[in-house]
Amino acid sequence: MKFSRHTRTAAAVAGAAAFALLAVGCSTGASSAEPASSDNPVTLTVTTFGTMGLDDLYKQYESEHPGITIEATNIDTGGNALTDWKTKQAAGSGLADVQAVEEGWLGQVMAVSDAFTDLGQHGAADIKDRWVSWKMDQATDPEGRVIGYGTDIGPVGLCYNKDLFKEAGLPTDRAEVASLLGGDNSTWADYFETGKKYKEATGKAWYDQSGFVWNSMVNQLPEGYYRADGTLDVEGNAALAERWGELAGGAAAGLSAGQTQWDWGKGKAFVDGSFATFVCPGWMLGVVQGQVEAAGGNADSGWDFADVFPGGATNWGGTFLTVPTQSKHPAEAAELAAWLTDAKAQVAAFQAAGTFPSVTAAQGDPGVTGSNALSKFFNDAPVGEILASRAEGVKAQYKGPNDSVIQEQVFGPATIALDKGTDGTTAWNDALATLKNLDLK
Amino acid sequence: MTSTISPPSGPAQKHGPRAGKAPATPEAAESPRPRSTLRSRLGALDVKASPYLYVAPFFILFALVGLFPLVYTFVVSINDWDLLSGAGEWVGLENYAAELTDPYFWNSLFNTFSIFLLSAVPQLIAATFIAALLDQNLRAKTFWRMGVLLPYVVTPVAVTLIFSSAFDEKYGLINNLLQMLDIDPVGWKSEVLPSHLAIASMVNWRWTGYNALILLAAMQAVPRDLHESASLDGAGALRRFVSITLPGIRPTMIFVIITATVGGLQIFTEPKLFNPSSSTLGGPNREYQTTVLYLWDLAFNRGDFGKASAVAWLLFLIIIGVGLINFFISRSIASADAKHHAKPGRAARRAARERKSRRAHEPAARHSAAHDSKEDPS
Repeated sequence: MKFSRHTRTAAAVAGAAAFALLAVGCSTGASSAEPASSDNPVTLTVTTFGTMGLDDLYKQYESEHPGITIEATNIDTGGNALTDWKTKQAAGSGLADVQAVEEGWLGQVMAVSDAFTDLGQHGAADIKDRWVSWKMDQATDPEGRVIGYGTDIGPVGLCYNKDLFKEAGLPTDRAEVASLLGGDNSTWADYFETGKKYKEATGKAWYDQSGFVWNSMVNQLPEGYYRADGTLDVEGNAALAERWGELAGGAAAGLSAGQTQWDWGKGKAFVDGSFATFVCPGWMLGVVQGQVEAAGGNADSGWDFADVFPGGATNWGGTFLTVPTQSKHPAEAAELAAWLTDAKAQVAAFQAAGTFPSVTAAQGDPGVTGSNALSKFFNDAPVGEILASRAEGVKAQYKGPNDSVIQEQVFGPATIALDKGTDGTTAWNDALATLKNLDLK
Repeated sequence: MTSTISPPSGPAQKHGPRAGKAPATPEAAESPRPRSTLRSRLGALDVKASPYLYVAPFFILFALVGLFPLVYTFVVSINDWDLLSGAGEWVGLENYAAELTDPYFWNSLFNTFSIFLLSAVPQLIAATFIAALLDQNLRAKTFWRMGVLLPYVVTPVAVTLIFSSAFDEKYGLINNLLQMLDIDPVGWKSEVLPSHLAIASMVNWRWTGYNALILLAAMQAVPRDLHESASLDGAGALRRFVSITLPGIRPTMIFVIITATVGGLQIFTEPKLFNPSSSTLGGPNREYQTTVLYLWDLAFNRGDFGKASAVAWLLFLIIIGVGLINFFISRSIASADAKHHAKPGRAARRAARERKSRRAHEPAARHSAAHDSKEDPS
């Protein structure tokens, strides 16, 4: 049967109607011209991830700002949050008014920096001195647009289990532990040597798995997987290769417990003595506490936090609050982002989740340097003071567009291979082969 | 529509084929040009157009959510398209060429087919036997039938989380049990065959009962008198199952196989969530990265939308290919079926022969039959 003209017309009408319906469905909701008030209520959406410690602040903001309602979503891990952001960014809709963005994705974020509202137009210049300068630099794109306000930074110290140290005959006091590992001049060689002593004494592993150690080794270098000019630099990178050799030596000596990162047997590995030290950026302290508690442990499980890190000061992670251009209320969203990152809010977030402030006034605040639930968990360690000390001398490393893919897909498998007994050279060559196969730029 | 169609004569000839629709009154037939009324035109339109209108919603929806994405995906696949920054240069079939030489693409195909075979084959065998058991005279029939469907009701995400925990390499239930028996722990999440078996077990857990119920429905449609006469003739339970039940459920079996194939080639949830903390999707070295997972990784981790779309199209073509193979196999089986109907099947012929010879040799056939059925309760 052929289509008659009438049916064709009918089909066209039906089709047009369907499209019209869709178009109408998409175009509801107008942008606000006048500021929010109780007469002009505005709902702001916020998407965060992991443990950022902001949850209790939303209610306070709502009560201080009549007319504003906050709808918050928290995504479990940074990786899932990245997928969420990418999908919605690519789709061109669905992003929150205030969107948390992690330092590790900055390379990808900066590639589409014009998809974020320039906070410079919403008063960023007035408050830019709040933050440590490198945090603000990270959030500024090459055209000088400020795309995010910093929340936390990730200065890295060393978590250790004092009960396990005691068993091995090592010092347990956190100052002595720091000097055991070389104090301010601590090197990775010191770290692995002490690990070998621990292994000899107890037969147990020194750290949980090679992946986190490798991440911090790379983050510590002036340039990581990318040169500062944005070109990929892995093959033939002597600094990376040298550190890889050290890491492989440690794994070969049985210092890695070969745990699954972000899983740790649902926390059991933190309480059954599987490993004695753990790489701890500020935000990781909350993770450690969560893992220990998930496995039935508590402050008596022996975890402590030392003011030392092999290879010197380094930063791992840290987050920014951005306002995507998709937002219909950029002015209100920018105001909320600024409020959520001011000193008072960062102190509260630190007390809730251990996220170390990027705002200098907050770093010295008694709420950060003093005792809190987190410091009690870590054997009354002055967590805030230690992190402030670990933050000294941190320089921001340039993150290329595929930094997180290289970390996860190239060196993720390679560090697992080390933990399973593959020798360093083979694992390194396999990593280079993977990098070639992935065809990353 | 009677007299006017009869042999062409006078004015009726001019009306041609439309004459049938003209009112069959003498006046109209005599009039040289009957003007069709609005009503009759609408009627004609109704007859012609309405069927299309009734099926249109499906096609409009299909065009929106099926055809458009299909074509759009193809357009994306012939461009160098970044997920975030959008369309780049037109590259022709370069993305396809790159994927067909990419070891990870072939690895994902191998994993997909391996997991598919490891799940589909045992699953269908088990489903057939469970269906056969449920087809017996059980007490509390409905209870058992609902029971096998229970795993299907649970969402795949929940199933995967539970299995993922049980298959954990260091703290999982299964490896703990193995260690209690002094067997080395198995690398369920980092070795090829163990991970495929683990994922296949999730698929089987979910789908065996569902397929068993579909096969059970087919089995119940197999005429009971065939079973009865066969058992009268002394065929045992196994014999009847092989010669009567299995041929009887063949069309349903083909349906189940085809749906299992399409589902199996698109497997995603189970491998995606099997080890959610893994930095590389589908195992540290892509041990169980299926094609859909690979596609997802390309698009959303590596941001290469062009290549991901090329993989989507390649997978589409592969599924069509496998579907065609299924179609031809099932058609040849169907035609074999037709032959069976024309000539009585081997089993039926033999049964008939036996029946005859028994009748000839045993006058007390009825007694013997009763005896048989006692021996072999069904």
